[in-house]
Amino acid sequence: MVNGAGDGTPVHEKKQGQGLLLFSVFVIATCGLIYELVAGTMASYLLGDSVTQFSTVIGVYLFSMGIGSWLSGQVEGDLLKWFIRIEILVGLVGGCSAPSMFLLFEHVTYFRIVLYSFVVLTGILVGLEIPILMRILKSGIEFKDLVARVFTFDYIGALLASLIFPLLLVPYLGLIRTSLVFGIFNIAVAAYLLYYFEETLRYRRRLLVPILASVFALLAGFVYAERIMSYSETLAFQDKVIYSKSTHYQRMVLTRNNRELKLFLNGNLQFSSLDEYRYHEALVHPGLHALKGSKKVLVLGGGDGLAVREVLRYPDVASVTLVDLDPAMTQLFRSNEMLLELNNRSLLSPKVRVVNDDAFNWVRRDTMRFDFIIIDFPDPSNYSLGKLYSSKFYEELQHVLSDSGIIVVQATSPLIARKSYWCVGHTMEAAGFVIVPYHIYVPSFGEWGYIMGMRNFGWHTGAQLPRGLRFVDKDVMKSMLLFPPDMSEVATEVNKLNNQALVNYFEDEWAPYVH
Amino acid sequence: MFIDGAGSKDRRRFLKQVLALAGVSFAGRYVTGCADASDGRVIPGDIVGAGSSIGHMIRDGRAIPALTEEIRTGILIIGGGISGLSAARWLHKKGTENVMMVEMGEETGGNSVFGQNKVSAYPWAAHYLPIPDVANTSLIEFLGEIGVITGFVDGVPIYNEYHLCHDPEERLYIDGYWQEGLVPKFGITREDEAQIARFMKQAEDYRAAKGVDGKYAFSIPLDTSSADEQFRKLDQISFRQFLTENGYNAKPLLWYLEYCCKDDYGAGLDSTSAWAGLHYFASRRGKATNANSSAVLTWPEGNGFLMQALRKHNPYPVRTGLAAFNIENTENGVHVDCYDAGRKSTVRIVAEKVLMCTPQNVNKYLLKSVGSERGIYEHVQYAPWVVANITCTGVPEGKGTALCWDNVVYGRQSVGYVFANHQNLVRKNEGVLTWYLPFTEGAPKEARKAIYSKTIEDWKKLVVEDLAYAHPGIEPLITRIDVKVWGHGMIQPVPGYVWGNARSEAMQAIDGRIFFAHSDLSGISIFEEAFSQGVRAAEEVLRT
Repeated sequence: MVNGAGDGTPVHEKKQGQGLLLFSVFVIATCGLIYELVAGTMASYLLGDSVTQFSTVIGVYLFSMGIGSWLSGQVEGDLLKWFIRIEILVGLVGGCSAPSMFLLFEHVTYFRIVLYSFVVLTGILVGLEIPILMRILKSGIEFKDLVARVFTFDYIGALLASLIFPLLLVPYLGLIRTSLVFGIFNIAVAAYLLYYFEETLRYRRRLLVPILASVFALLAGFVYAERIMSYSETLAFQDKVIYSKSTHYQRMVLTRNNRELKLFLNGNLQFSSLDEYRYHEALVHPGLHALKGSKKVLVLGGGDGLAVREVLRYPDVASVTLVDLDPAMTQLFRSNEMLLELNNRSLLSPKVRVVNDDAFNWVRRDTMRFDFIIIDFPDPSNYSLGKLYSSKFYEELQHVLSDSGIIVVQATSPLIARKSYWCVGHTMEAAGFVIVPYHIYVPSFGEWGYIMGMRNFGWHTGAQLPRGLRFVDKDVMKSMLLFPPDMSEVATEVNKLNNQALVNYFEDEWAPYVH
Repeated sequence: MFIDGAGSKDRRRFLKQVLALAGVSFAGRYVTGCADASDGRVIPGDIVGAGSSIGHMIRDGRAIPALTEEIRTGILIIGGGISGLSAARWLHKKGTENVMMVEMGEETGGNSVFGQNKVSAYPWAAHYLPIPDVANTSLIEFLGEIGVITGFVDGVPIYNEYHLCHDPEERLYIDGYWQEGLVPKFGITREDEAQIARFMKQAEDYRAAKGVDGKYAFSIPLDTSSADEQFRKLDQISFRQFLTENGYNAKPLLWYLEYCCKDDYGAGLDSTSAWAGLHYFASRRGKATNANSSAVLTWPEGNGFLMQALRKHNPYPVRTGLAAFNIENTENGVHVDCYDAGRKSTVRIVAEKVLMCTPQNVNKYLLKSVGSERGIYEHVQYAPWVVANITCTGVPEGKGTALCWDNVVYGRQSVGYVFANHQNLVRKNEGVLTWYLPFTEGAPKEARKAIYSKTIEDWKKLVVEDLAYAHPGIEPLITRIDVKVWGHGMIQPVPGYVWGNARSEAMQAIDGRIFFAHSDLSGISIFEEAFSQGVRAAEEVLRT
């Protein structure tokens, strides 16, 4: 056949064989560029800053192709067999690249290592393809024709890839399935060559096994893709979904765009990396800075470690206990590089103890006393959460709060959910707290409210704030206390376990914004 | 009569019967069957506590094992249900000594027994207590003792909010949608609505109505209700007749009223007297400083919570697995012969006084030798019930109102299910649903025969089908279905029973020695009645 042209194979078959090989060039060129685009897109999804990510990924990929081309010079022997083997490998590595990266994202601390390992490996393999293929083809065609045809098909494939990737593949298949489908194409090339050329007969059987296994693995991945990343979900968010997981308790979704990283729990925004400092500084500092001496702090909810980050700014904080229901949440914020950067590794601090338990039960059981208690639960959007805003819950908190201690509750928006906000305050009062309501503006959330509670009024803004705050200072604290008429106090019921008044207010008030 | 004179042949036959019965109940409890779930999976589950076997043995028994033990006591309480436990509590409060209790089942608790698995505790029958009228002092006092009432403001109780039913309380599945509350309001006509409002108004008037004796027309305990004939005559007719005479014919209203009778009395509109039917709506005058008057108290284990509190405070010895089968009133005291299921022997308890906290269908056999004229037996009628506890990985929500404590489906034979975990402060994805099916149609005896012949697989199928009506696709979420069959679940307040002579006569002690307490002596099977029956009978014992 091709490189053994003297074996008496009829000319038309030779021609047909060449045509097929040139078609292979077209397919593998498309696949090769798709992998590059997948890696670049993954990088900008998961790490942000698309210009840098795309640029470095393309650079590394091309450089790796160079390594592959150089390595092709070392390949000797049955070139067709080499080519088929390489195709299987490219299909497997390239095909698995996107799903593997999504799966590994939460587990590895240094995600970049995984990303660039895939880029380098795919690049090298793709770099091997064309030179070897040209050597296979060279005996049948003149050199000038060979170069012209191979590169023509190579660039046509590249054009096709660069057009269908953004226009068809990402919108209709998603990244994971795109990567898997093109892996299968690569392997299909290997399989067809193996079937078409007779001289592969000796090793046909041996190579058939890895081909079938790889195709099976990629197809399985295709079926499984929905569980790695719900495709429909990626459409529901404005930004790119970089991580999503259904835990025993909730659906966690991380999205990012060029500027910010966002966490959603059950579809509700928890924070945006752009302005979460406003929310968390206002949550922690007004209360904590007013307490003197060594302090024991309890954080209920807030498994992202962002409130704890603010707490740890005080050197005289002796210990922090964080109680969050969901181990998956605290684990993610203790292990992912990007998130560790955001929470300043707060959950890894030796002062911090993380407890994964339901806050209500934990508080009822615990006998320790805390000086500052931060209650950072999701909004009371359902009856289970409503129990964590009940008078009974605040009564239980009295038992774990030191005599001069302060609690602070995130209490939804006093502007949008005015009744809900004041209902939280009145419920705290019913449980025996003197309250200090305050609010700030967080661009991602809008007007947002908190309520401090203490046994006897003793709060003042005079004490020293930690250095390095970006939002809270003395004057801001004073302004937080002012409620314009459209947010000022309204009469509400007390939220009790047996009336769940708050959930009903909350539903009514937020309904126009969510439906 | 068959005590010592029984021949050895009879004794052998008796033992054979017992063994056969034990075998049946053993098989029922431990052989997990092979429900033909549509996904080919077998849902595990058992019929638990086949408690009727010893009862039937007493009924059908012809011979008994030899007497091996004799116990003497001052007061013997037979039956460890709520009335028995309540009587024990009262005797103890009054400083009575030398009291003992026998219970034929494996545990005391009566209709308030409960189960527990790793997901939740769950009731096997009674599962809530409406906050009582402050006039019901003995019950209010008890609730204070056990921390259900934490204080009073101007005489109005403050209830422990962990025990008040958490919101949301009730929802009804009607026309493919879960509406809030159980009174139908979704997709009904104006006329239906008007009739419902008219009935509620009438019930409200009855709630406030007082008789010529100055007492409320309808009260709990029901014996504190007015004796005024204008109200009591309502006991002579069926609830259905009352409704017809008053021009109520709207289907949603009749469904709702029938549901209420089924739920509380195990009876339909025909087998509930008009007085009892109205009592359901007009007797509750509970007050709380921190809840509204219709609030109910409930716990994951249902009334097992109250029962355990009674059990825990009972200082007297309790012998379970000891079934009284014959009582003789002799010169030397009351002889109570009991079959000891564990040792397969007979125990004689000689008591100065006996407090029979047993249902009348049992008394009928126990008191044969006493020979007293008690006309009650032909008047009592008990509703069979089947209760299933369904463990699910995932809780059934559905369209409309979120999962509530009580979840009822319009137009079904079952009275729906209670979400046993509802009072848990932590919502897990797993849950236990307690599903209730009363048999109110036809003769209870026939229904009993039918339900005893059913296997666990029959029940599983029935339960899954019934749940799937409102929750299509629930079956794969079910991990376990356990079932309890109550042959004589609760007394039905049939017309003429509550204010007939038979009931008041049956409460009379025999010879100053044998006393009676049971909710069937009130005619409605609710915790308050059983509790007050126990107090009343204990008082009588102490007075005599």
